[in-house]
Formats: sequence, C-alpha cells, structure tokens
Amino acid sequence: MNPPGPLGVLEEKEEEHLSTPILGPSIHSDNPQERIQARRLRIAARLEARRREALGEYLDGKKESEEDQRKSYKQKEESRLKLAKLLLCGTELVTNIQVATDIREIHRRVEEEEIKRQRLEKLENEVKTSQDKFDEITAKWEVGKQKRIPQDLWDMLNTQQVHCAGLIEDKNKLISELQQELKIKDDQYVKDLKKQSDDICLLLERMEEQVKHVMKTFRQELNYIEKAFEIERQELLTSNKKKWERALQAHNAKELEYLMNRIKKAEDYEKQLNRQRMWDWEEYNMIKIKLEQDVQVLEQQLQQMKATYQLNQEKLEYNFQVLKKRDEESTVIKSQQKRKINRLHDTLNNLRSKYAKQIKQFQEENQSLTSDYKRLVMQFKELQKAMRHFALIDDKQFREIWLMNEEEAKDLISRAFDVDRIIHTHHLGLPWTAPDFWFLRNVGPISQQPQKSATQIVEEVLMQAEEEGTEEAASEAESYLDLPRQISPKTTRKILMLLCDESGFLVESKLLSLLLPLEKNECYLLRLDAIFSALGIESEDDLYKLVNFFLKYRVYHSPSSQEQTSLLSALEPGEQPDLEGQKEESLVEGEPEEKEAPPSPRLIHPNDVLKILEAFVMGLKKPRDSRAPVKLKYVRDNSKDSAYWEALTTVIPDTTQNLWDALYTALEKYHLILTQRAKLLIENNSLEQQNTELQMLLQKYLDSKKQGSVEM
Amino acid sequence: MQETLATSTLLAPSRSSISTQERFSTAGQTSSTGPQPSRLSIIPPPSKSKGWNSGTKVRRMRRIIAEDPEWSLAIVPLLTELCIQHIVKNFQNNPILKQLLPEHQQKVLSHLSPELPLAVTANLIDDESYWRRCCLQRWPVCHVARHGGSWKRLFFERHLENLIKHFIPGTTDPAVLLDLLPLCRSYVRRLCVHQLLPPVQPPAPPRSGELSDSGSEGETEEPATDHYQLRDLVAGLSHLEELDLVYGVKDCGMNFEGNLFLFTYRDCHSLAATIKACHTLKIFRLTRSKVDDDKARILIRSLLDHPALEELDLSHNLIADRGARAAAKLLSHSRLRVLNLANNQVRAPGAQSLAHALAHNTNLISLNLRLNCIEDEGGQALAHALQTNKCLTTLHLGGNELSEPTATLLSQVLSVNTTLTSINLSCNHIGLDGGKQLLEGMLDNKTLLEFDLRLSDVAQESEYLIGQALCANREAARQRTLNPGHFMSPIVAKGPENPAR
Repeated sequence: MNPPGPLGVLEEKEEEHLSTPILGPSIHSDNPQERIQARRLRIAARLEARRREALGEYLDGKKESEEDQRKSYKQKEESRLKLAKLLLCGTELVTNIQVATDIREIHRRVEEEEIKRQRLEKLENEVKTSQDKFDEITAKWEVGKQKRIPQDLWDMLNTQQVHCAGLIEDKNKLISELQQELKIKDDQYVKDLKKQSDDICLLLERMEEQVKHVMKTFRQELNYIEKAFEIERQELLTSNKKKWERALQAHNAKELEYLMNRIKKAEDYEKQLNRQRMWDWEEYNMIKIKLEQDVQVLEQQLQQMKATYQLNQEKLEYNFQVLKKRDEESTVIKSQQKRKINRLHDTLNNLRSKYAKQIKQFQEENQSLTSDYKRLVMQFKELQKAMRHFALIDDKQFREIWLMNEEEAKDLISRAFDVDRIIHTHHLGLPWTAPDFWFLRNVGPISQQPQKSATQIVEEVLMQAEEEGTEEAASEAESYLDLPRQISPKTTRKILMLLCDESGFLVESKLLSLLLPLEKNECYLLRLDAIFSALGIESEDDLYKLVNFFLKYRVYHSPSSQEQTSLLSALEPGEQPDLEGQKEESLVEGEPEEKEAPPSPRLIHPNDVLKILEAFVMGLKKPRDSRAPVKLKYVRDNSKDSAYWEALTTVIPDTTQNLWDALYTALEKYHLILTQRAKLLIENNSLEQQNTELQMLLQKYLDSKKQGSVEM
Repeated sequence: MQETLATSTLLAPSRSSISTQERFSTAGQTSSTGPQPSRLSIIPPPSKSKGWNSGTKVRRMRRIIAEDPEWSLAIVPLLTELCIQHIVKNFQNNPILKQLLPEHQQKVLSHLSPELPLAVTANLIDDESYWRRCCLQRWPVCHVARHGGSWKRLFFERHLENLIKHFIPGTTDPAVLLDLLPLCRSYVRRLCVHQLLPPVQPPAPPRSGELSDSGSEGETEEPATDHYQLRDLVAGLSHLEELDLVYGVKDCGMNFEGNLFLFTYRDCHSLAATIKACHTLKIFRLTRSKVDDDKARILIRSLLDHPALEELDLSHNLIADRGARAAAKLLSHSRLRVLNLANNQVRAPGAQSLAHALAHNTNLISLNLRLNCIEDEGGQALAHALQTNKCLTTLHLGGNELSEPTATLLSQVLSVNTTLTSINLSCNHIGLDGGKQLLEGMLDNKTLLEFDLRLSDVAQESEYLIGQALCANREAARQRTLNPGHFMSPIVAKGPENPAR
C-alpha cells in the first residue's frame, strides 16, 4: 500500500534530473568560446525578452531586429510550457494511483471500523449472553448441590451438561465464525497483496511510460530548440559573412587605393630626389671651386701675415729694447720726481702756514671793514634825514618864493589890468571887463594841493554833515570839496556810517572799549580810522573809490548780488591804468549816474557790505602794491610851471598888446604930442625892464631848482 | 627488432613513400600486438593509410601521438610503470600512495582492485573513481546524488546499511559492525536501514515473556524480539545526520508472522537514548514500525530540545492523539522544519493540539497528516492556525475526512496567507460548494503553486479554474526566481514579498 509514495517521489526526482540538461548547453559547437558566446547571447535575449514582457512594451522597431532572437526564445518558451504541462500531467497520472489507493484505504478503514464495531457489539452480546448462561449454570450448581436425589442430580447434571455444551457450542460457533472471518481476511490480505502488486506494476508501467514519453518529448523539444538555434545561427552566420565580405571588399579597395597612392608618391619622391641630387651636385661643385679659391686667397694672406708677423716681431723686439731703456730712464726720473715731491711737500707746508696766517689777517680786515660799513650806513641815514629835512626846507622856500613871485606877478598883472582898464576906460573909452583866468586865482605852486588823508576827509564829511542843516551853501563853495560833490556828502556819510556799523570786526576790541565814553562823531571817526587802516585806505582817492564802489555795486547788484565778480572785473580795467589821470574821468562818469539814480544807501543791504568790502579789497590790492613806492618819492611836477608862468606873462593878450602897441604908437604920437606923458612912458619902460629882470631871476631860480630836484 | 624498426620510422620520416609505408604498417602491427589495446583503436588500419604520401603519414602519426597520452614507442615499460605495477600488486600488504607523485597516484588508483580489504583502503584512498568502481561492482544501481555526490560515502553508507540489515541479534557477532566503525566513522552521514531482523527464534525453547517486556498491554506473550541496539554504532558515527529506520522484515512474503514486526519497548528506549545522544542528527525517520502513542511519546520526549533535529518522520505508524500532542509539544521545543505523521491514527484532538502549536511556530515548513482522521474539527483548527502562521509552506491533509466547513476556512486562509506554496486536500469530501469557496480563495492567492483536489468531490470546472490560477502563480514564481533583482512583478500585491527573499 505504501510503496507508491516514495516511488512517486523518486519518479519526480528522476524527471527533474531529466529536465535539467535542457537548460544546459544547447548549442553544440566545437569551439567553447562560441558556445559561451551563444549562451551569453541567449541569456541576454532571455533577460531582454522578460523585461519587455514585464513592462508590456513591444517596440515595433526593435521587433524586426530581434526577430531571430525571438524565434529561438519563442521556441524555448513553447517547449518549456509544453514540457511543464507534460510533467504535471504525468505526475498526476502517476500519483493518481496513490490517491486511488488512499481513498480505497479510507473506504476500507471506514468499512473495517463498521465491521469492527459490529463484531465488538456481537462479541459483547455474546459475552453477555454467555455470561448469563454461565451464571445460570453456576446458579444451577448451587441448586444441584442441594439436590439429594441422584435422579434429580443426574437430570440436573445432564441439563447442566447440555447447557454447557450449548455454551461451548455457542463459543465454538463464534470462534469458527471469527476464524471464518480471519480466513476471509487472509484471503483479503492475499488479494490485497495481489492488488498491491498489480498497483505497483501499474505504477511502474506508468512511470516507465512517463519516463519514456518525457524523454521522447524532451528530446523532441531539444531538437526543436536546437533547430531554432541552428537556423538562427545560420542566419547570423550568413549575415555576418556578408558583412565580413563587404568589409573585406572595402578593405581591399582601400588597400589598392593606398598602394596606388604609395607608388605615385614613391615616383614623385624619386623624381624629387634626382632633381635634388643634381642640384646638390652643382652646388657642391660651385662651393668646391669657391672654397679652393678661398683657400688660395687665405694662403696668400697667411704668407702676408707671416711676413707682417716677422716684421712685427722685429719691431716689437726693438720696442722692447727701447722700452727697457725707457724704463731705466723712468726709474731715474722717478727718483728725481720723488725728490721733487719731497721738496714740494716742504713748500706746501710753508704755504699752509702762510695761508692760515692770511686767513687770520683777512678776518681782522673783514671785521674792520664791517664796522666801517656800519658806520657809513649810519652816516647815510643821517644824510638822508638831513636831505629830507632840506627837501622840506626847500619846499617851504620854493613855496615862499613862488608865493612871493606870484604876488609880485599878480601885482604886476593887477597893475597891468589896472593899466589896461585905465587904458580902456580912460583912453579908449571902452567898457573894461576884468579877464578871468584860472591862474589868476592860483595861489602857491601848481598841483601842490595838499593830499588830504582819508580820515581828514571823513572828518570833514562828518563835520559837514553836522553843519549841513545850517551851512549847506558854504560847503559848496569850497573848491577841494568839489570832488566828493558828485557823490553827495550825505550819501557818503551814510555809506561810511554803514561801513562803520557793519565792519566793527576790523576794529580792535581795546579801541572799542576806549571809544565808548567819546562823542558820537569822534567815535565814528576813530572807528573809521581803524577800519581804513585795516582795509589799507589811506588817501582821499581811495575813499572816494570806496564810496563809488559801493554805489556802483548797488546799481549793478541791486537786482542780484551775484554779479559781484563781474563788476570787480569791470571795475579793475577802468581803475587800473593811471589812477591820477583817470581821476577826472571817473568822476565825470560817476556824475550822470548819480543824477540818474539818487543815492539811497538804504538800498544797500547791510548784509551785502561785507561782500562789497571783500570785492573792493581784492580790486584795490593790486594797484596799491604797484603804486606804493611811487608815493613815497613824491616828485613835484613842474611841467605846468612854465605854462603857468607863461600864462602869467601872457595875461595881456596880443590883441590887447597890439592895441596897446597901436595905442602906444598913438600915444607916442600922443606923447610926442603930449610930452607930459613922457615921464609916464619912462616909468613904464622901467617897469618893463624890471619885469624882464624878474623874469631872468626867475629863470635862474628855476634852473637852480631843477638842479636841486635832480639831486634828490 | 620491432622496436628498432619503429624507431627508424620516426628517425627517418622523409624516406621514399613505399618503404616508409611498409615500415609503418609493420610498426602499426607491432603496436597493435602490444599490451595496450587502446592504441589499436586509435592507430588507423594500415589499409586505409595506403596511397598517402609520406607527409600526411607523418602528420597522421604525430596526431596519434598527441591524442593518446600513454602512447609511447618504448615497448619496454618505464621503471615507473614497473614500480606502479608492483605497488598495485602488493597494495594490500604495503599500501604506498601518498608518497607518490599525483600522476602516479592516479595511475595506481586506476589499477587497484575494488576487492581490497576496507581496512587498507578506507582511510587511505579518497579518490572518487576508485570508490565508484567499488560501488558499481557491488550494486548495479547507485544514486550517488542521494549521498551528497560522494562515491566513497555512498559505498560506506550502503555497506553499513547492508551489514545492519542482515544483522541477526544473538547470532551475528556485533564486532562485525563495531570493527567497521573506525573505518567508516568519518564518511557515514546517513543511515537508511529499511530492515531490522529480529533474533532467530528456535521453535523449541519456550518464550520467556518477562525478559524484555516491561509493560506492554495487549501482547500476553512477549518474546525476546529485541532488535539490534544501534546505540554503540550511532555513538561511533560522529557525522551522522540522517537516520532512517524501519523495524520490520522485508520480503517475508507468505512467511509473514506478527512478531516479525514488533518494535519492543526496549527497542524504543534504546533508540530514544541513541537519538538523544546523537547531537548531529538532523533527520530522523521511523516508519512502518508499529509505533504507538506510548512509544512515540518516549521517542519524542528524548527529542525535546534536540540541538540539530530538523525533520521528524513517523509515518505509517499507529500514533493517535496523545502522540500527536507530544509531537505538538516537540514543535514548540525544537527547530523542527519537517513533520511527517502520514498514515497514523491522529484524530481531531490531536490535530487541534498540532494546530495550537502551529499557530505561533516559526520553524515548521512542512506538515504531512496524510491518511489520518482529523475530520472537520481538526481541519478547522489547522486552518485557524494557518491564518497566523507565517512559515509553513507545505501542508498535506489528504484522506482526512474533511468537508465543506474546512474548505470555507481554508479559502479564507488562501486569501490571507502568502507563504503556503503547496496544499494537498485529495481524498476528502470537500463537495461542490467547498470547491467553489476554495476557488474564490484561490483567486486572491498569488503564491500557491500546488493544490491537489483529486477525488474530493469538487466540480471539474472549479478544479480546472484552480489549476489555471496555479499555473499563473507558477509562472510568476519562475520569473521571480530567474531574475529577482530588476524584474518588477506585474502584481503589486507581491511587491513586499520580493525583498524578503
């Protein structure tokens, strides 16, 4: 019953054994490399196919190229499935027997159980009944013991015997039944054994059949697969062969081409080589000839050189001799020189000592000279002082003389005028008007009008302003105050006040404290003085310039104070040339301006004052610097003197003189006629004579004066 | 003279074709008459070589030389050859092998006779070809694969099995076995004894029951039918891993007697002690030996906490529920991987206890309860256990009187369990509805590869459909085993299983 199990297992194992070689090398080739290659290809194809299968993508483009691979793969897959099915079916067929026996065994067991149960029941029943019977019999034994009658006892014994026999018979029957059953079972066993052997035979048969069948199918499938691979291989082989041939052909063609190229190149090179060789040959010849020539020349040169060499050698030998001699001479000279040096050293020492002595001497001399020089400087200073003193004195004298002469001249002129008047009135009977000349009003030397300092003017202005209310007319009369007249003193004053107020920083604080107790005007005066000194305003002109500047600034800059620099530049060229020459002009210019815009210094903002001042100082600086030395040496201008004096002489015009001449002639005639008048004529002559004398004197004086001024 | 001729042919290969031809033919003849028969087959017959020119002949000769390593012109054997022959001849008295060069060793081994006493060869010769010859000479059929692919092991194992099979206690000298022990100790790993003979009982002497019996129930007369005590033998085999025993007589035929198949208590105790002492034992089989509950319990008790045991096979015995309970206890006290209780008398309680043990077991891979009678109660218990078990792969419940309720539960198990690969429910009364339910469960399962439902009253349609599902599962499993790495299984449900393997 059991053997099918292990046998089946064995069978399965055998089948597995059989199935393994299919997976082994399926390409039978002589070359192991090829086999390995084939196997690798197959593995790769299998992997590829599986992956594609898994991803479910069948690329149409790849399908074509991998058709061959797929063929074998398909074949393999088919075979595998078929074989698996076959194995499964076969196994099932074989194991069916086992299953059948199993179920038979189960049925048997069930039946057996039933029979066993029945038998047990039966046995139990039997036991019970037989026990009952036995009990009955044993009970009867007790009863039998009490029986005394042998007949009864015999009867009872008989019955007992019968009962026992029945019991035994029952038992025997049962035993025989059981034995019968046993026999049947034995038969059954034998049958079972037979059946089992049959089963086993069947099993073996089936197994063998299966083995055969499986072997056959495996072989077949193997053949199929092999065929598929063979076909694939053939295809591959042919395609590869084709490829190879094509490659070979291409290779051959290329080789031929290369060969041709090579031959051509070789020819070319040969030609080139020949040409090169010819050329080289010619060149070689040429060079050879040239070199031979060179060799000859060089040999000649060598000869020459040898000759010169010998010559030189001789020369050198001679020179050597000479030099030797010279050397000797030089040693002698050297000794002489040494001696000389010694001597010169001595002299040098002497000279040094002399030199030191002289230095000392000259130092002393120098000291004495410097003291002399100092003294002379002192003398010169004293001289200068004296000169200045003399100049002042000269000035004074000149002035005095001038005044005197002028007085005299004026006297004369007045006399002349008187005479003329008399002539006119008395003699001619004409109305006489006194001629009005500028020089007549002149007193003192011309252009020696005192240059008033700025402060003085300021003082004047201030004073004037004070007196303005009372004496307005009086101020106008003064001639030297004409200059600021263009700018009204009022304006000037206001400007100055403004300046004074705004530029207090220029005044020293000490001065301010001193000024406090003073009067207002004085205070202003001092302050302005300090400010002017700080600004460098000294003269009257400067002051007027300043005032003018202020006014112009106001005119130009009242709309915008930004053009200050342009004004400055405009101002500079006008001011820079000769200041004194331009003075009149600028003043004239300033006049109309004042008329056009009456000055109202209120319009000058106090804040602008500083800017104006700055611009002014900048503009003033340059001309002042250049003018400073000129100012110190003030030379009196005597150009107008002669004119002046000339004018004085010609006070009486020619016409008058002519008139006079005519009158004289007439008068002479008249004298002649009127002898009375002779005395007057003589007087007149004497006067004329006197006048000439005076002229002479004046001339002389003037000459001396000139000399004096040259000295200065 | 022949020798000179031969040498002359070699020395002067470029002579006239006819003369060399003649000489060559003579040389070929001489060589063919020589002791080596193999040369004859390789050297072409002279008739064929006729008409060839000398160049081809020389090549031909050379080819022969290249192909036969033993071919030599020297007719007088070399001294080494002679020595080897001598060694072979006197190997029994003077075994010389290890001192030789490898090539000479090979030669000696190929000429040694397989009949040499084992005492000489056992520990000296490791060469497989020699042992192969020995085996093939003794047994016509040899499954070397079952013996680990080693012919030597096969030889010793079968030799020892043979000896044990024919050992008759009392008459055979135990020294026969024990003498062999030192020779085969390091080679025998598997002992597969399918016959243990009882002592020969002379009909004359009366049977003395009290000698061996210690407490048997049914048998009134207990003869001294103790079999051979394996204890000494097994203790000597230091590498024994598999022990397959059948206490019975083979081929008794019509000489059948009940006491030929007795597995006595003494046998049982002795065997228990034997297997307990054998720490290397991995597989233990005791089949067809009338092991009842008590004996099974004795054996299993000795196997508790065995360090190496992996497979226990007690099929075709008389084990009932108590034995099954003991086996269940063993499941939780060992690393058992395979348990086979086929064809026993296990009923529902035994199956329930087994199921209880199985529910939390993590070692058992295969359980075989074929031809028992666990019925639906036991089947349901097992199915419940399988819902939590994550290890069992093979389950055989053929012929167990199972019916629809078990099938219902099993179909639930099928949809949940992912480890089971093989289930056998043949020879049960599953019924049509049960088959349908199993089909439903099968449709959700992707791991089961075998599902046997033969002769279990299942409709053919559902059986066929189940077969289809199994086919699909098998294909998927094949794909997974072939390339587990980059192959993404199309079924997402199997995803987590892939990295686990």
